[in-house]
Order: sequence, then structure tokens, then C-alpha cells
Amino acid sequence: MDDVFPKVVFKFFGVIPVRDTVISTWVMMALVLGVVLILRRSMPEALEMLVDFISDTVSNMLGRPAEPFLPFLGAIMIFLLLANNLGLLPFLATPTKDINTPLALALVVFFAVHYFGIREKGLWGYLKSMATPIFIFPLEIIGQLSRTMSLTLRLFGNIISSEFIVAVIFSLIQPIVPLPMMLLGTVSGVFQAYIFTILASSYIASALGSGEK
Amino acid sequence: MAELDPGTLVTVVTIVMATLGMVLGAILPALVEGRAVIKALEGMIRQPESAGDIRNTLLISMVLLETTAIYVLLIVLVLIFANPLLDRFFPTG
Repeated sequence: MDDVFPKVVFKFFGVIPVRDTVISTWVMMALVLGVVLILRRSMPEALEMLVDFISDTVSNMLGRPAEPFLPFLGAIMIFLLLANNLGLLPFLATPTKDINTPLALALVVFFAVHYFGIREKGLWGYLKSMATPIFIFPLEIIGQLSRTMSLTLRLFGNIISSEFIVAVIFSLIQPIVPLPMMLLGTVSGVFQAYIFTILASSYIASALGSGEK
Repeated sequence: MAELDPGTLVTVVTIVMATLGMVLGAILPALVEGRAVIKALEGMIRQPESAGDIRNTLLISMVLLETTAIYVLLIVLVLIFANPLLDRFFPTG
């Protein structure tokens, strides 16, 4: 049961604690790089299919060509797709079961939304579009903060709940029986990666506005 | 009625309220999501050409509805595994 919570493995320079989730994130980054480098040689069609799928999804959501946002959103989608299911590999912890990982991703989305909005409309235009009737502005700020919180908690809650279910069933009955729950966790992890990307792109779309001016 | 020591009382109340909260927090979003799915399916049957748009909107709204259940789950997890009341009122050291 205690395996669900992330543990501090060692301390960087004696002060910065490094948890096992961070270490498995590093392993995952090496894994992704390796797999992409191998796939680029042996079957580039697979990578093209992946990029096409992400591009279609994102441009559907944005209502405009996805090219300027594809590196950001595609990276989020691939990262989460693997990170949510990394716990299936032996000796590795799921990085997103530590609340700091979803929080970091949600903060990145938070800043990226404003960056893309300012790049599209200019600083003054973006502020003006946020406060068109002036009393909307505080509500808009609250909305920005609460959507960051909800992005964090949604991802974290889904992952930690499936981890807990597997841990509880594993502590009751050891062999094979937790497997269906792990399958359920995998499905929900893949779905959460998709949802996180979709929501990030819809936030970006709302920051960009209709794009006709 | 036997005397309960305060730590046991807080634990019992916490467990009961956590279960109640999880039950309510699971039932209500499930019912509302069911309504959303019904409406979306009706819309898809009526206008099959806009099924893709409806599916996208349905997914997003389902996720937003699901979020409330996830909030309840997180609060329940905090209550059970990291109960702040137990630490504050009955420091075990």
C-alpha cells in the first residue's frame, strides 16, 4: 500500500530531494529518445502516423492549422501517453502519481496559453481581449487559475485512483486478479493523455480568439 | 454506551463521511453524465453528418463533469490517508 506514494530516493547536493518518480521520468525520456531514433531509421511511417493523428486532433480543436502549436501539444501528448503507463514496467514508478508532475505540466500549459495569446494579439490586445467589459477581468483571472488547478487535479486524481485500486486488490489477492484493474488503469491513462492535450488546445484556442481580426 | 476516546471518534466519523461523500460524489456525476450521453446520442441520430463535432464536445464536457467526482475522490483520499484533523487535535508524535 505504501508503494503508491512517491519516495525520496537520494538528495541532490544534500538539499534537493529526488523522488523515484523523477528518476523514472529520466528513464522514460531516455526510452522515448531511443525509440524515436530507432523508429526514424526502421519505420518512419509509424512516426508520420503519430504526427498526423496529433495534428488532426489539435487542428480540429483549434479550428486552424496546428503547425505553430504542434511541437508543444505533441510533446505533452506523447509524454503523458508514456508517463501514465510507465508503472506497467517493472521497477519504475508512474511519474504522474506524484502531484508535482501534473502541476508542472499544468503550469507549462498556463504560461504557454498566455505566450501564444500575446504572440497572436500583442500584449495590449491580449489584455484588452481578456477584459472587454472591464468587470470580466477578475473572473477571467480566477478562471485561469482554477483551470490550471483542475488540469492538475484531474490528471493526478485519475492516475492515483487507478494506482490505489490496483494496490488494494493486490494486497487482497496476489496473482492475476489485479490484471483487469491494471488494464482499466491503462485505458484511463491513455484517455487522460488525450484529454489533457484536448483541453490544452482548447485553452490555447480561447486565448487566440476567433482569429478573423 | 461505552466511552470512545477522541481519536477513535474522529477516525470513525472520518471513515463514515468519506464513504458517504464518495457515494454521493460518484452517483451525481454519473447521472449527469448519463443525461449528457443521451442528449449527444439523440443529436447524433438526428444529424449524423455532425457526429464528429458532437463527439468532441461530448468528450470535453464528460471530462469536465467527471472532474467533480475526481475532486471528491481526492478529498476522500486526503481524509483517509493524510487526515489533518487527527494530526491537529491528537498529536501522536
